[in-house]
Amino acid sequence: MSIRLSGIRKHYGDFVALGGVDLEIADGELIALLGPSGSGKTTLLRVIAGLEKPDAGIVTVNGADNSTRSFRDREIGFVFQHYALFRHMTVFENVAFGLRVRPRRSRPAEREIASRVHELLKLVQLDFLADRYPSQLSGGQRQRVALARTLAVEPKVLLLDEPFGALDAKVRRELRQWLRRLHEQIRVTSVFVTHDQDEALELGNRVVVMNGGRIEQVGTPDQVYHHPANAFVHHFLGSVNLFHGRVEKGKLYIGDTEMEMDATHEHAHGDDRQGDNREAVLAVRPHMLEILLTPNGGGEFPATVLNVNPAGPQVKVELVTAWGDPVQVEMGHERFRILSLAPGKSVFIRPKDEKLFVYQI
Amino acid sequence: MTQESSTRIAIRPGRPATADPALFRVLVEAAAMLFVALFLLVPLVAVFTEALRKGVPVYLAAISDPEARSAIYLTLLTAAIAVPLNVAFGLAASWAIANFEFRGKNTLTTLIDLPVAVSPVISGLVFVLLLGSRTPLGGWLADHGLRIIFAEPGIILATIFVTFPLAARELIPVMQAAGTSEEEAAVMLGANGWQTFFRVTIPKVKLGVLYGMVLCNARAMGEFGAVSVVSGHIRGYTNTMPLYVEILYNDYRFAAAFAIASLLTILALATLALKSWLERRGAIRIPQTQADETERVAA
Repeated sequence: MSIRLSGIRKHYGDFVALGGVDLEIADGELIALLGPSGSGKTTLLRVIAGLEKPDAGIVTVNGADNSTRSFRDREIGFVFQHYALFRHMTVFENVAFGLRVRPRRSRPAEREIASRVHELLKLVQLDFLADRYPSQLSGGQRQRVALARTLAVEPKVLLLDEPFGALDAKVRRELRQWLRRLHEQIRVTSVFVTHDQDEALELGNRVVVMNGGRIEQVGTPDQVYHHPANAFVHHFLGSVNLFHGRVEKGKLYIGDTEMEMDATHEHAHGDDRQGDNREAVLAVRPHMLEILLTPNGGGEFPATVLNVNPAGPQVKVELVTAWGDPVQVEMGHERFRILSLAPGKSVFIRPKDEKLFVYQI
Repeated sequence: MTQESSTRIAIRPGRPATADPALFRVLVEAAAMLFVALFLLVPLVAVFTEALRKGVPVYLAAISDPEARSAIYLTLLTAAIAVPLNVAFGLAASWAIANFEFRGKNTLTTLIDLPVAVSPVISGLVFVLLLGSRTPLGGWLADHGLRIIFAEPGIILATIFVTFPLAARELIPVMQAAGTSEEEAAVMLGANGWQTFFRVTIPKVKLGVLYGMVLCNARAMGEFGAVSVVSGHIRGYTNTMPLYVEILYNDYRFAAAFAIASLLTILALATLALKSWLERRGAIRIPQTQADETERVAA
């Protein structure tokens, strides 16, 4: 089912949780709502579910206003952050709940309920735990029971609030892949909330980046990562180095270093492209910076190595610029061996890419 | 340098840092036991020995006396009315306090405790002043054939008043700790209000309800002060068991007094036994290791 949100606003006292959100979700999509805590992503999810009533704005599902329908007719499944399993019921009864509370005429017979529940428990690979209580399960198992319970009522829209938030890193990765396969199998329109950019980029067909109750950018994982709309998105999707400087006559000045800003440079706020003598921020991801032992061709600035961490697939180097800004650089082990970097060494750093992300402030 | 490196911290195997010396432990345990024996066990034994001093036939005669039977009946009737009302109020108040923000919420939470804070005699007196036959309201009710004070309704009203906060106080923290996410989950799964309340909320706070019932029952059967003021001590009519015990005692009928007292004690002990049984049932939790085990099996 397609979902359309228009002009959604929600206040809690003076706090603006949602400050006018418009979003369209197509049938069968898997959407990630990504943002820091307090950005309004969970509130937005709860508004879509109908658990929260917006102060203004309309949620339409398949073209019909959802607020006039009963929860049963909305056919929306919601997986809660802490699962909200019924603690006094077995796994089986938890999954069966949605079928048992149906009105008598549409309630399946006991045999049908049993076979449906076991089918779902097999789908989430937990059939052998049907008689256990939630307190006897691990976090990952509870998560999957919560999902099976939600799927039992055959929702047309699946909403997941921080689905893997409370799990350890390894279980998270496994469940992430599992959820993606599941979505490919059942193709139900799904929206999930996360504060983990890796999760959003890996799992979502599209990513909605939120901040301060507003949507900063909507796009495919590739779009939001490689073509961030603004400094916030750039910063939030992975670590980034920010260099404060100014733009003058089409050139960028960072400290004493002058950089060409030719046509290939990407500006987030393109309308101010020719603005003169304005303050600006250059954003470069750690792996898009290179370290040179000697100046070479201009555009590089001097820096001193502070710390080196060679553990992991990439070597992480911490530096400080001549004017005192901290800088993070990541490079391959081969390059690291050639440079033979050590704390205290004076070097030069330069953005590798011809495209510079310069944000005017 | 050498000085520094020679500094050693001795860590000996043995008892953990928080363990107390054996002598201290024995003394504290003995003191606690002594108190229990002196102030709880001795009186308890005394009640039963006094009750049976003149033999079992006298005991049986005392408790099967018509006046005694009337007192027992009134006590059980009072508890049977007060406990369900108390639980109903406790559920409503705790649900409202835990789940809603409303005007007067703080006043409500404070006022709930009022009946425990004031002396039971005052609680009883309030009803006499409000509903006695000389008051306008009491007079009007009497004109319509409804006697409250010095009658059964007064006793029941006074008992409800003094037991009023018991279930609510038990349920408020339980409701607050339980949160509302299970109810939200039930609603999202298509359950209506009644289904959510009876299938999710009630089972979730079941232990709190039962514990509140036990407390309320104990107080309802044992209440003396408030009931004494509104009862009028009409034998065979407005005497509850505690009041009847006092009357027998003042009449120097010690064996009968202790016989009724022993019955009350048995009721109290049964209530306590029920309470600790419920507590033990509620305390059973699956050890963490078992959950880890299932995770490994799943992997």
